[in-house]
Amino acid sequence: MKKALIVLAFVLAFASMVSAQTINVLFWDDAYPRTLMERIPEFEKATGIKVNIEILQPPQVFTKTSVSVSKDHTDYDLVCVDEGNIPLFASLMLPYDQWGPGKVFKKIDPNTVTPAMLDVAQWDGKLIGLPINGNLYVWMTRKDLIENPKYKADFKAKYGYDLGVPQTFQQMLDEGTYFYDNGIVSGGFGPFNGGPAGVFGEAIFMWESYGTHFIEWVKGKPTLVVDKAKAVQGMEFYKKLMKISPKGAETMAHVERQAAFCADPKGVFTQFIWPAQIASYEDPDKSLVAGKIVYSAPPAGPAGRFAIRGTWAVNIPLASKNKDAAAEFVYWWASKDIATWLVEKNTVPARTDALTDPRFAKTKPWLAAIAESMKYAAARPRFNEVAQVQDIVKKYWIMGITGQMPCDDAMQKIIDETKDVLKKAGY
Amino acid sequence: MSSRKPATELLRAQVQSGKARRRAPFLFLAPAIIVVFAVLIFPIIFSLFVSTYNWPLSQGAGVRRFVGFGNYTALAQDPEFWNSLKLQLGFIFIAIPIELLFGFAAALLLNREFFGAKIVRSLLLLPVFFLPILSGMTWRFMLQPRYGPLNALLLKLGAPEITWLGNPATAYAAIIVQDIWRMWPFMFMLLYAALTAIPQELMEAAEIDGAGFWLKLRSLTIPLLMPTILTAILLRIIDALRVFSEVYVMTEGGPGSATMLFSLYTQRQAFGYQKVGMASAMAIFLLVLSIVFALTLVRKNMSLDVLEEKAGA
Repeated sequence: MKKALIVLAFVLAFASMVSAQTINVLFWDDAYPRTLMERIPEFEKATGIKVNIEILQPPQVFTKTSVSVSKDHTDYDLVCVDEGNIPLFASLMLPYDQWGPGKVFKKIDPNTVTPAMLDVAQWDGKLIGLPINGNLYVWMTRKDLIENPKYKADFKAKYGYDLGVPQTFQQMLDEGTYFYDNGIVSGGFGPFNGGPAGVFGEAIFMWESYGTHFIEWVKGKPTLVVDKAKAVQGMEFYKKLMKISPKGAETMAHVERQAAFCADPKGVFTQFIWPAQIASYEDPDKSLVAGKIVYSAPPAGPAGRFAIRGTWAVNIPLASKNKDAAAEFVYWWASKDIATWLVEKNTVPARTDALTDPRFAKTKPWLAAIAESMKYAAARPRFNEVAQVQDIVKKYWIMGITGQMPCDDAMQKIIDETKDVLKKAGY
Repeated sequence: MSSRKPATELLRAQVQSGKARRRAPFLFLAPAIIVVFAVLIFPIIFSLFVSTYNWPLSQGAGVRRFVGFGNYTALAQDPEFWNSLKLQLGFIFIAIPIELLFGFAAALLLNREFFGAKIVRSLLLLPVFFLPILSGMTWRFMLQPRYGPLNALLLKLGAPEITWLGNPATAYAAIIVQDIWRMWPFMFMLLYAALTAIPQELMEAAEIDGAGFWLKLRSLTIPLLMPTILTAILLRIIDALRVFSEVYVMTEGGPGSATMLFSLYTQRQAFGYQKVGMASAMAIFLLVLSIVFALTLVRKNMSLDVLEEKAGA
């Protein structure tokens, strides 16, 4: 009898191992997916689907997806694709309307996704995945500085208007200069000069704010439509901001920006933030300014306010053999329950109902700013050769804003070399 | 008794066994040849094959298009390609001589016994064992203008803050200095080993003949070390041609393309621009460049051997 029970136990254990379905998931590495990982055992328990996660830095996610996903083969059942790369991978992914209905979790209605984000996963008139986070430019300003009575009085005496959250570029420059020149902060402005995609975002932000698009789809082709004079003005203004930026601003990526804003005793006055990173800025163990930040929509340039979008979509490769299980995982991830919990954990999902949940209005002040920014959402141009164009923009943008080259010449180089890339690509 | 075989049969058997004997070495070598072909030769041939295609990485083999030498022509017309080659060669011709100089000086200095000599010699080797990616990270943080220890020291000495990795010239210098720091002990290791193998009698004979330090160095030490020096240079050149991770984490090729070495640009072509054919063409170019360096140095080394033999005769 004892022997029979032991054999039965082994058989059951073996059967459960064999029957458990496993999905391979490729995540990008930031606070949002890392937070989600805490709850994945619950999903595994509820569905019997084992989730095998690989989490990599965004450039490596791109590389891995390029190498590991094709029309006939995939190493992953679910991949996260940054919105800029959607055109490149769209033909390899299963359109959302073909995703299964879900056995344990209900299929997510795409209309639950904030409208400004839903566009991210659209390509060639199809929704080819589900936008999963609510990432777009939100502005951070140091509350302790703008509310300081002495600074308020000094600033008003010098500039003739009240110190406050910058509403315009000029106000941002004036206030940043005031704090920087008086040695109150290490940086009046925190630029982003890291990877090509981020620098491209900054350039597009400035160009849009000065009233010009860079590349648009015209008659089915990506076409250079930039107004050089306006683009140069945008670059010249950023050059002014660089002069009030912390030392080392020429190479500041996310790590350096966070260190300058949160760990430097003087800190930085104002800068944009991706909402995915807010959790770190508001963590008192990591940040000297936790609880001292005001969040708002970006300040307006001469042509208005723009908030650059940087959202990720989750996609199921056409070649996946576990499409239904992968879809089940997404339905769980994008469900209201999980999305609300993710908001509680200071991350930003794409669901409107979670982001606008009145329970969070007081404790999560950035949510209102995100909602406001979404009114001004602007996307970076999307086309297959975007990586080449990003490199060109990064190279000459940084040369222009750091004074290594006149902005006018830098912009001309951007225009000439971008034209060349588009021509060689056959557009 | 007819147990004797006819002559024709015997002849046939002899011929067959002779054939088998001639075939045997090839059969024994076959597994090794197959492995060498699969591991060493096939990837090169495949890379050559890929370099003749326009092959978008994410679209798989189905959409590739034969372009012949098109990728090579496109590279020749690409200013960024020439810039990356120039930077790569600059990196090699600046870093390696300095590493050689440091390694040689340290080998000469430590080629004697003193208290703690073994510990000192062992400690000097530490940077070589540093992972390149960690070395890059460490240098990136050390050179951080605001929090880095180097600037902290300079500021205390009254120097202005320098954004080492933000300026094209200093960023290029920084990646070279990082390489020198990490790899000069490699030169030391090889040269010290060779130095200890020089017969002491030769040195003593030279001393008896009145040769001073510099004369011994010029006429004995350097010529005797020359084969090792050439081998060390060759190994370092091959290694330096492939340098990637440390530069990638330090600067990602920037600012602008001031540190976009050949290997970084190859990676960018393959995984950034998805142009596998172009990246393969660059890889083939790099292979040819390595062979040119290797042949030049090996020939030089062989000519030294011939001279030595002649001298011996």
